Amino acid sequence: MTSGIVFDIKEFTIHDGPGIRTTVFMKGCPLSCTWCHNPEGQSRQPQVIRSLAGERLAGQRYAAAELAALLNEQANILRANEGGITFSGGEPLLQADFVAEVIDLLDDVHVLLDTSGYGNPVDFHSLVGRSDLIYFDLKLIDREMHRHYTGCDNDMILNNLKLLSGSGKPFVIRVPLVPGVTDTDENLAAIAETVRGLPGLLYVDLLPYNMAAGSKYEYAGMEFKPDYDEKRPLNVNALLFEQCGVKVQVE
Amino acid sequence: MNKQMESLKKRVRAGEQRSVRQAEPIHILAECEAEGLSWPRRVARLIRRQCEAEQVVIGPDDLIAFTRTLPAAVPPIYSPEDWARLTAGRTLHELGPISNICADWSLLLAQGLLGRKQVAMATRERLAHDPQTVEFLDSAIESMEAVMELATCYASQARAMGRDDLAGILEKVPAQPAHTFHEALQSLRFCHSVVWLGGNYHVGLGRFDQYMWPYLKSDLAAGRLSIETAENLLAEFFISLNKDSDLYPGVQQGDNGQTLTLGGVTPDGGLAVNELTHMVLRVARDVAMIDPKINLRISAQTDLDLLSLTTELTRIGLGFPQYSNDDVVIPALVAHGYDLEDARDYVVAACWEFIIPGRGMEVVNIGAVSFPAAVDQALRDGLAAGEDFDRMLDRVHIQVREQVNRLADAYSHLLLPPAPYYSVFMQGCLEQGRDVCEGLKYNNFGIHGAGSANAADALAAVKKFIFEEHSLLPDELLSAMVENFSGHEALRTKLEEQGSKVGNNDPKADALLVTLFADLAEACEGYGRTPRGGILRPGTGSAMYYIWLASSHAGMREPEVGATADGRLKGQPFSANLAPSPDARVRGPISTLQSFAKIDYGQIFNGGPITMELSDSVFKNPESVRKTAMLVRTFAQLGWQQLQLNSLCLATLLDAKAHPENHKNLIVRVWGWSGYFCELAPEYQDHIIARHLYEID
Repeated sequence: MTSGIVFDIKEFTIHDGPGIRTTVFMKGCPLSCTWCHNPEGQSRQPQVIRSLAGERLAGQRYAAAELAALLNEQANILRANEGGITFSGGEPLLQADFVAEVIDLLDDVHVLLDTSGYGNPVDFHSLVGRSDLIYFDLKLIDREMHRHYTGCDNDMILNNLKLLSGSGKPFVIRVPLVPGVTDTDENLAAIAETVRGLPGLLYVDLLPYNMAAGSKYEYAGMEFKPDYDEKRPLNVNALLFEQCGVKVQVE
Repeated sequence: MNKQMESLKKRVRAGEQRSVRQAEPIHILAECEAEGLSWPRRVARLIRRQCEAEQVVIGPDDLIAFTRTLPAAVPPIYSPEDWARLTAGRTLHELGPISNICADWSLLLAQGLLGRKQVAMATRERLAHDPQTVEFLDSAIESMEAVMELATCYASQARAMGRDDLAGILEKVPAQPAHTFHEALQSLRFCHSVVWLGGNYHVGLGRFDQYMWPYLKSDLAAGRLSIETAENLLAEFFISLNKDSDLYPGVQQGDNGQTLTLGGVTPDGGLAVNELTHMVLRVARDVAMIDPKINLRISAQTDLDLLSLTTELTRIGLGFPQYSNDDVVIPALVAHGYDLEDARDYVVAACWEFIIPGRGMEVVNIGAVSFPAAVDQALRDGLAAGEDFDRMLDRVHIQVREQVNRLADAYSHLLLPPAPYYSVFMQGCLEQGRDVCEGLKYNNFGIHGAGSANAADALAAVKKFIFEEHSLLPDELLSAMVENFSGHEALRTKLEEQGSKVGNNDPKADALLVTLFADLAEACEGYGRTPRGGILRPGTGSAMYYIWLASSHAGMREPEVGATADGRLKGQPFSANLAPSPDARVRGPISTLQSFAKIDYGQIFNGGPITMELSDSVFKNPESVRKTAMLVRTFAQLGWQQLQLNSLCLATLLDAKAHPENHKNLIVRVWGWSGYFCELAPEYQDHIIARHLYEID
């Protein structure tokens, strides 16, 4: 029996996939995107969150069976509402064995994997195989820029994207639009070119930058240091996708 | 809503109608005494003189007339000495006058006041030998005549203003039966307003989409009205309900019981939802004012389109509709002595309670059992005596029974003042010559169980830490509670964070919640019949008790409760209705619903909603509105009783507290009703803010 660390479980997360869902936020992420709005998801270690509501510890260890039992209590309700369980983070791939074991213990319920795509191919294959739908982030196609803004290369991500499109599973590409960083015509066109015609791709989801991105850093005892101009108007250019015949929506 | 209605709304919100208000109430005590009038006669005289003293106010564009000009104070009809004599040894409910029942307004619309008067005359002839009956009927007739005369004054003024359209309607209703939607609304506006003028309050509007629909339907069919013109009439009617509501009594501004109930089934079991149901919801959404407060009856079959429309009202933050589940409510009413046809006709009272229009003279909130007080006393006594946990539960059981008995005993001396005018709109009063105060078909009392989540959490903490984990000594807990956890911060954190809490679908705390309500149900059932011939209906509402129980109040029979074993500090409010303790961190709406689903609503049937706040960020797009609608339907499918959803943003509330001038129209749900946030007392504002603290971390 493996155990894993979770920084939050949120119910009625109706923006994390079809229907009414419960989302498990796995703690720990290999990337460190400068625009990350879940800073407490970055470190694998439990940390104290101090907010208006007082203090709480983000990061609780669960045995796989314990977490699965908790989620199974709601399976009927989620199923009846066209929803299911979403595994998000942080990065679920970082705790792939644990997540796989939890999924195996779940009742018949829709599973969505919300991933940055950064993880080893064996883990990726394992979790994709167990999921019904995958939300896959694509942030920057340029390798150098990707390294600059996320702290990691995107080789592994692009490689996993290939695996995903060959897996037969339906997936959605999610692009966080960060002003002046990911929202440039150049980057968006490159993403469109990368995903066009991929089997299994349902659509591309453009996620406009959220000005509240930095709001949680202080609570988590961290510092928000965006190296871009937050207030710069966003370039929400859906046309670049439509021109390639890629279905696109803006959240 | 057209421009004219926008402008009317703006004027009403700005309080323009207050400029025509008279400064002083009328005086009628002297004439009542000089003529030696009986009580019913005095009430009728009150209605007459109030109607006579009303000054006619018709705005140039008014489509529905009546604006109250008399001040809030209802003139006394007895001297203080006589009143003391009259009421000696008796219990008055709240302010005294009959309140929080629902008329059968279809009697007015179908028969008109003249028709009702004829019924009264016929009964008077038949029962002429009975002076008490004659007295009642004469009083009812006198008050009806006063209302008709007031309408005549309005009609003349409308004529004089060249408003022949309005004059034509005012010359017909409320004396004649209504024939059109417009006439029906005008008739209701007059007769409903006069109930308030007579001092009765929490005057509900009942099954509006049922009794109004035939009039709208025939107007639409005959081409007399278009959907758009009908919506404008309805908008004006709804706005007019907000004109005088600051004059109505309530614990807080906005607590006025102007509720209406939509949907559900017809008395013969058919689906009751019609075009007017949808229209009311659309218009209420567009008008966006605190009155009327809307209840929607739903079932497992209710369609998602209707629930999506109601979610739109939730989304914009109106705090209504509140949902009641027919699949649960109707069988529970039938199991407790209501005829099936009547149970199917239920409406929701001022806050939550299920009552039957025209057939219930029920006092649905004679008080609340303080679960925190019962548990607190049981724990203090039991722990000091070194008892085991089960023995302490026995003590809780006894405490709850004693509280129920005390409340019910006090109401065994209930005195309901006569209400001959209100009786006109009740089933059988004129027909049998009996005032509503003497009772109707249903005469039950309701008792709520307040502070249930905190009380269950306190029991759960004692069970876990003292009896299961042995990580806490009874004396340690007792002294920490006495010292309000001062110097015991670590213990308080442990109680708060590691305790089992209601709202997390945790079987430990939930089982104790179920036990508390089972105790309440048993105590009510064990009490048997009251002197008014009714039973006690146990419920799950908490009204203002969540504040009063924590900080003491003259209106409470139960003692103030200090720091409690769940880690709550002295003075902090308890949970409102069915909601997790304010300090408990819970997983979310699904777990909370699951926790409260465990209560046996077949036995706990007086009403009282699961109250949930959703962050307004939930409602980003149309899809999320539909998903919220799905959650509501799931609620019905899984057998819950009543649900109240709010949408609020913490930042807005904080800003409204700091800068009320910028948030005059911010509406919040308080306990069983919606009010303007900036018009609430600070402790109620703080409680609402506290309910939202968890959404932003």
